[in-house]
Amino acid sequence: MNSTLLKIGAAVVVAVVIIFGWQNRAIKPLAWTDTEIDVLRSLSLTSLPALPPDPSNAVADDPQAAAFGEQLFFDPRLSANGGISCSTCHQPERQFTDGLPKGQAIGTSKRNTPSIIGSAYSPWLYWDGRRDSQWAQALSPLEDPNEHGSSRQQVVAVVAGDDAYKSTYQALFEKLGDVSGNDPVALNIAFANVGKAIAAFERTLLPTAARFDDYVDAVADGNLQQQESLFSDDEVWGLRLFIEKANCTQCHNGPLLTNNEFHNTGVLSSPGELPDKGRVSGVQKVLSDPFNCLGEYSDDPRRQCAELTFVRTGPELIGAVRTPSLRNVELTSPYMHKGQIATLAEALQHYNEAPDAMIGHNEAKPLALATRELHQLEAFLKTLTASEAVHQSESM
Amino acid sequence: MAIRLFLGFVVSAFLWDAAVAHGGVVQEEDLCVIKVNYLRAHFKIYQPRASGHKQFCEDLPLASESVFVMEYQHDALKGMPIDFRIIRDVTGKGRFARMEDIEQIDDLDGVTVFYQEAVIEPDVFTVMHEFAGEGEFIGIVSATQPDTSKVYAAVFPFEVGFTGVGYWPFFIAVLVLLQLQYLVMSGRLKLWMKGRWSGAASSFLICAVLVAPVAAVFAEDGELRVSYSTPAGPPEINRIHSWILHLESADGVPVENANIEVIGGMPEHDHGLPTQPRVTEELGNGDYRLDGMRFHMRGHWEITVTVVTTEGSSVVVIPLHL
Repeated sequence: MNSTLLKIGAAVVVAVVIIFGWQNRAIKPLAWTDTEIDVLRSLSLTSLPALPPDPSNAVADDPQAAAFGEQLFFDPRLSANGGISCSTCHQPERQFTDGLPKGQAIGTSKRNTPSIIGSAYSPWLYWDGRRDSQWAQALSPLEDPNEHGSSRQQVVAVVAGDDAYKSTYQALFEKLGDVSGNDPVALNIAFANVGKAIAAFERTLLPTAARFDDYVDAVADGNLQQQESLFSDDEVWGLRLFIEKANCTQCHNGPLLTNNEFHNTGVLSSPGELPDKGRVSGVQKVLSDPFNCLGEYSDDPRRQCAELTFVRTGPELIGAVRTPSLRNVELTSPYMHKGQIATLAEALQHYNEAPDAMIGHNEAKPLALATRELHQLEAFLKTLTASEAVHQSESM
Repeated sequence: MAIRLFLGFVVSAFLWDAAVAHGGVVQEEDLCVIKVNYLRAHFKIYQPRASGHKQFCEDLPLASESVFVMEYQHDALKGMPIDFRIIRDVTGKGRFARMEDIEQIDDLDGVTVFYQEAVIEPDVFTVMHEFAGEGEFIGIVSATQPDTSKVYAAVFPFEVGFTGVGYWPFFIAVLVLLQLQYLVMSGRLKLWMKGRWSGAASSFLICAVLVAPVAAVFAEDGELRVSYSTPAGPPEINRIHSWILHLESADGVPVENANIEVIGGMPEHDHGLPTQPRVTEELGNGDYRLDGMRFHMRGHWEITVTVVTTEGSSVVVIPLHL
């Protein structure tokens, strides 16, 4: 009797080992087809087009404006307590994010601090797209009571009161007029110019190549040996899942791995807060922003504002937020618009389950990926980390 | 005993219907619905800290942070000021409390645990309340018709710390037993077990016929032909661009002075275009400039072009694979 039990036990153990081994056996990745190689190329930085022009900002590509903007970006005098600059939350050594669920400045910001790298390519700024240019965006935190907590008068007064700033400002723009607040338009022009200089700096923050980009080059060259030295089998399988079964490229597409559009993916609300309405309210805000592309502070006499002119809203944008870039995603935790998800593994688990959204409709469908596949996807995502830091951060 | 329980269930179900006729929360198949008089909204309650994505319709398991969501099924609610009140149930009527009972409460504010003043929420209505303790509560939602100032209301009693399951398990068990007895007695169970495989095969065949590909209609509706070109090169994702639409009749005559509306989307993903494109210029010879086109995903798109002329109207769907 005992020996029979022992035999059955042994058989069960052997079966479990075989099944487990079979499920986790190493399978060599498949070769990429021509169509797949096209998809891979479309995600590589070599496909990144030239920076789109920003005709609403006359100094967008002026190096002197960028240098001035860089000084302003790091200047804490542009805050209510003299201790907060743009770099308080957008920290260069952290890919211009802060590692926190929500930004901490004068108070707590409403949402997670997104990276600035590559944001010049986005038609919309902020998670809800409530601004339509980098310069219009740069102005908002200055007057947000929880962020810089300053005012346009104070910001312009700092520029007017600093001899070096004032002379650079007047070389770039026009003579500073009456900016005491008696002439609101003059004050707004000067305030907008501060934003335009900061934007000229932010425009220079561009992504640099990651191991993934080198791998795509090796695939395009048909260099198998180099492919194998660059990517492990799990990373290759992860990449295949990324472009196929896991549907990631529906939103995380193009060389910046974002379509810069708005999607509801059913992320749980942040503790103590109502669910974020996202883009439906962002659309109304960008349309009424006096500093938008169609407004009087734009430098483009032709007001070429296709994105704003053809903007749309609708129930599918309830709870929708902007797709973030996945470049350097390993370094930019926590994730989602309120930093609700702490790790990449949890973010992947969220998409694997795709639960119903609290408000609106979750566009993502459950993926039913196996644990091993989730590990492979995570391994792939880590190949998107830039090999070198952004060039600006070296001069800091 | 069993009959008494059963009758109790039937009577309570009947009474409950009478209660919601004035406005309340009802479970309709899979959907929890709040009826504010005749105005309906999808209603759901979340306790995100305690239960994650789990949805509740009325009763809540714990005294915890609770988010109440109303997604309108009537557009009229989008423009109506709506207020939301939660009171402790002091009516003594429990599940059967109605608006008339609420109106008899002398000090409504005194028993109110949460009040959201009337606001117009054009997209979705949400409020949040953290319950300090378990107990019986009543939710009152009022919506005011802006033109007539008529107030519509919904009243829904609910329990926090709800653990009871009522008569449901008993009722379901009785049903299952009755059905089983019927199947066994009539010999259908045996028959069903036998026929399982052939049944599966035939349903598979039916499915195969149903999913057989349907020939796609390319950009014409019999009277109108629509073609397009993209002057700035083939459409790419994430780039705003323009199209030139060309409209002609079935016999090749260009269609002029047409009123054109364009919408588009990805049927597989239930979403539309990220932009709202418009025809901005008629170029002559049946050509029209369509501005503001942008795609944000690869895959199958459908662009629906509605053309209205003095002759009539046509709807043409342009399929597009990116």
